[in-house]
Amino acid sequence: MIYDCVIIGGGLAGLTCGIKCAKEGLHTVIISGGMNSLHFSSGSIDLAGYTEKGAIVKKPFEYIKDLIKSNKEHPYTKIGLSSIKKSIDFFIDELASDNIPLNNNGEYNHFRVTPLGAVKPTYLSQESVYSSKGKEIIKSKGKIAILNFKGFRDYYAEQTAANIKNHPIFQDIEITVGSISLPYYHKTEKNLHEFRSIDISRIFETEKYLPRIAEEIKRAAGDAVAISLPAFIGIKNYKSIRQKLEAMTGKFIYEIPTLPPSILGLRIDHALKDRFFSYGGEYIAGEKIVSGKINKNEVESISTLNEGRLSEIKSKYYVLATGSFFSGGLQSRLEGISETIFDLATNGTNPRNKWYSKNFFDKKSHPFLNFGVVTDKNLNAKTKEGKAIKNLLCAGAIIGGYNPIKEGCGGGVAIASAYKCAELIAKDLKK
Amino acid sequence: MIKLENISFDHCIKCTVCTMYCPVAQATHLFPGPKQSGPDAERLRIKNPELVDSSLKYCTNCKRCEIACPSNVKIAEIIQKAKWNYVKIHWFRPRDFFMSRTDLVGSITTIVSTITNFVVNLKITRAFMHIFLKIPFTRQFPPYAKGTFKKLYEKKISKTQRPFEKRVAFFHGCYINYNNHSLGQDLIRVMNAMGYGVDIVKEKCCGVPLIANGYIEKAKKNAKFNIAHLSKTETPIVSTSSSCSYALLHEYKEFLEMDNSGYISRLDYITKFIYDEFSRGNIPKMKPLGIRAAYHSPCHLERMGGVMYTLGVLKKIPGLELVILNSECCGIAGTYGFKNENYEISQAIGSALFKLIDNANPEFVITDCETCTMQIEMNTKYKVLHPVTLIAMALKE
Repeated sequence: MIYDCVIIGGGLAGLTCGIKCAKEGLHTVIISGGMNSLHFSSGSIDLAGYTEKGAIVKKPFEYIKDLIKSNKEHPYTKIGLSSIKKSIDFFIDELASDNIPLNNNGEYNHFRVTPLGAVKPTYLSQESVYSSKGKEIIKSKGKIAILNFKGFRDYYAEQTAANIKNHPIFQDIEITVGSISLPYYHKTEKNLHEFRSIDISRIFETEKYLPRIAEEIKRAAGDAVAISLPAFIGIKNYKSIRQKLEAMTGKFIYEIPTLPPSILGLRIDHALKDRFFSYGGEYIAGEKIVSGKINKNEVESISTLNEGRLSEIKSKYYVLATGSFFSGGLQSRLEGISETIFDLATNGTNPRNKWYSKNFFDKKSHPFLNFGVVTDKNLNAKTKEGKAIKNLLCAGAIIGGYNPIKEGCGGGVAIASAYKCAELIAKDLKK
Repeated sequence: MIKLENISFDHCIKCTVCTMYCPVAQATHLFPGPKQSGPDAERLRIKNPELVDSSLKYCTNCKRCEIACPSNVKIAEIIQKAKWNYVKIHWFRPRDFFMSRTDLVGSITTIVSTITNFVVNLKITRAFMHIFLKIPFTRQFPPYAKGTFKKLYEKKISKTQRPFEKRVAFFHGCYINYNNHSLGQDLIRVMNAMGYGVDIVKEKCCGVPLIANGYIEKAKKNAKFNIAHLSKTETPIVSTSSSCSYALLHEYKEFLEMDNSGYISRLDYITKFIYDEFSRGNIPKMKPLGIRAAYHSPCHLERMGGVMYTLGVLKKIPGLELVILNSECCGIAGTYGFKNENYEISQAIGSALFKLIDNANPEFVITDCETCTMQIEMNTKYKVLHPVTLIAMALKE
């Protein structure tokens, strides 16, 4: 049995590519080894946040247009501006149809707040993180209350408050900190210290305790007009829960991500999987692709390893969306950087002591974040002999030649490259 | 001393993704979740076995934590080992004893199946079982068949298998042997249609219920017996039970620490075997079914990477409109859901799946696992079929 497209890796890139392929009517399977790093992400999509020199990018598409002219090796250059724009629209549409609307600030970036209170530029956010109403409140300098639940250990309201006060947009805004208690939960025998964000989000999801939580919020927030809560006000129903809480409290509700697991990221993950299934895609969880056979610049098959036995899987096209070091797509060894499935060519070639900067927060960032698989202009992976592999395309963090942290573009590259791969595959197979 | 090969808990990066996907932690806060019960607590237990936490008993061993783990930590295995290695129970537990002795109970009840099925469903029996054996009153039991599949095979089927040159050995498991002969017969029809004659070898219960109830020594005895007999065969071996397959392929080696290399390269869960045959072009003639069915993927099949093959095979059946349900645990977890103390949790875990099935509005539900079948049939209005049964239905006479 031969699939049209097998996608190795079920993260942001793999899922986006899978949705587009399945929507095009291709027999598509995603093979994912363990849950993806959306579970550790902000849940916002950064398109282009910082310039080469570290300045904040205001208009990401304009910036990308210039980048394409000057940087031939950047994945954005290979994808092209029109595909990048189409991919973002596609992503917004797909998530909107799963009840996770994503907002943007027109052609401008907006800011999101990290768990520790850093303020970073981004392009797409859930409505609890960016909305025109929130923008107005900041503009009119309305008082903000940053709240946490008593005893919850994966988020520190005081730290967030102290850090965001350093940022220019919050400078003249009055910010208070407070804590609220979680209403008695009938099956709880454990201390709130043991709760993670996921446990509390499930309590919110039942909607049973909203009136009491709303009372607590009103008490702790005083006369603040905007409230920030750790991001766990529901999973699937978060939109309506937030609306209800806003109606009950009469205040604007904002979400700040907690330490992992990230509920903002989880919502995106669930919505993407729902979309993929709705187009008939197959998602195989907990399976690792360990090797692949390449013959005459074409992938013949890939293999899983179970109980010491290899099983072959065949497809017309393969998409490598295995992520970078954290997700296991790349590996660093004493002798160098390697790609873990096909042993493809990587750009991680310089001597080991040049892979990183000695200063962790170096403005120039770490060179290893640039490492990845070498691709040709159509995102086809290249072998160590420098030959492009016809039916193996790369999407997301496995692609070399850009720095997702320094440039603030990880989400954008993942979505755009995934969409581009799917476009190319669909075009070829539908010929 | 810590064995160096047993330090997978050290690969845990504390990301808590396993707890997000743990069906038990979702259903009750009494279970602190796989991360805390597994890799976190293992450090403490190694230091001092008295630090074993009683909440371990809530783990169903569904293995969804291991599927979710991005760092390859054998979370469920750590919990299972801790459950039985640190706690030794010496007193006699009648319910757990009989529930895990599927062979013993099965071989007696199949002799008097009509009476057993009648008596088990009497309200008075159920009340007695509820009070004295702590088996939930409302839990449905699978009916026992008349005689065993093994006898049926020896008497009627074996001679029909002689003409086939290509052979396959069939590990039928307890469910087919004592409860569902027709699935065994479906398997034989399908294999025959693909040109394979079916042999059965001597076997005992694979040991899954024994492991789940803490009878590790007895499980090892059964494993030794099965390993000896399966290793004697020279043909491919198939099993129609996802959990038996998982035990034979994985648990024997990793959990019971026994050598199953004598057959491991030849044994497959049935849909993998059929998938490979289909891929080689050996597809029997099938007529269009004209059925709409929803597919539920059992946890253990997911863990062993088998869902892909089941879907691949199902998609080859003409006229089968397939709705693939989002992956959710059904909650029964073998004998877990047959116990009073777990019943509420078990039903709560399954509720999400039952809703999905109702929304899909199929004619049938398809799944690979026998206890998932029991749970779904009890909680929804649908009949549940095994993938092999669907192929058998599609075969031309």
